[in-house]
Amino acid sequence: MSTTTTTRAAAAPAASSLASSAKFKAFALAFSTSGPVIYCIVQYFNWPLFTFHPATNRLVWGYEAARAGEGPNMLWYGWTATTLIAAAIVGIIVMMLPERISSKIPLFLIWLLPILAIPYIIYSLMPWWVLAAGR
Amino acid sequence: MTSFISVNAFWTIWLLVHLILAVGLVGALTHQAMAVALPVRQPAGGIVTRFRAVAAPGYATAVCVLWVLTFIVGSFIYTKYRIYIRIPIEQAHDYKTGGFFDFKEHVSSLGLVLLPAYWYFWKNAQNREYDSARKGVTLVLCAMAWFLFIVGHVVNNTRGFGS
Repeated sequence: MSTTTTTRAAAAPAASSLASSAKFKAFALAFSTSGPVIYCIVQYFNWPLFTFHPATNRLVWGYEAARAGEGPNMLWYGWTATTLIAAAIVGIIVMMLPERISSKIPLFLIWLLPILAIPYIIYSLMPWWVLAAGR
Repeated sequence: MTSFISVNAFWTIWLLVHLILAVGLVGALTHQAMAVALPVRQPAGGIVTRFRAVAAPGYATAVCVLWVLTFIVGSFIYTKYRIYIRIPIEQAHDYKTGGFFDFKEHVSSLGLVLLPAYWYFWKNAQNREYDSARKGVTLVLCAMAWFLFIVGHVVNNTRGFGS
């Protein structure tokens, strides 16, 4: 019995129309390349699409600080929503470009950019680390 | 719903659903990452070789679905975490645990945006042009999944629902 790894051998050529679509390729690569960068920008400038107040179940468009007596606010949902929308817009724009342009996206950026985003994310959590160090 | 089960039981069940989905995700991604990082070229040997010797492209859609489902369920229980878990964690001065949970939320979002390209690369696994990128994005997603899994586990050990 052979169980030779099949990262390619067992993979039939892309059968679904989506996987073989040049437009989806452009969208997917642009979305995934821009996504980590957009997420860091959105978090840095604090641009949540909405703010959720879990203690009161209140949802507010954009940013709203925690209000006295109403518990904390949650921004992560809003940051993620902003990122998904912005990355989708980038993807749609790139999808509409001629293939000779959209095919120039360097593929290594898709795995490199999320790695490069990690130091920034750690830095953005500095208040936690400062508190932990001062404990 | 809370007339049948307690509030703590309700949220604990959702946490377990999140855990089960995460186990599936980590397992699928680890199989795939091992297959792509250490491809098997010999007939089956021991358990490690067999672990690596999977039909890796077949996992791509399952990984995407599991990531999204785990993300949605995690987002759902996150609202209760913010009130009933994080505040006590802060009061107990467990700042590293709190910080790592916030780190986890960011990593889960970064992983989410990688899924379209990841899926595309694996659905075109016959294309050698994508070999390097497919390997890179799969290893990154696998490392992310393990990080999310371990941090979630530690946070739950520090203070789970109902504790």
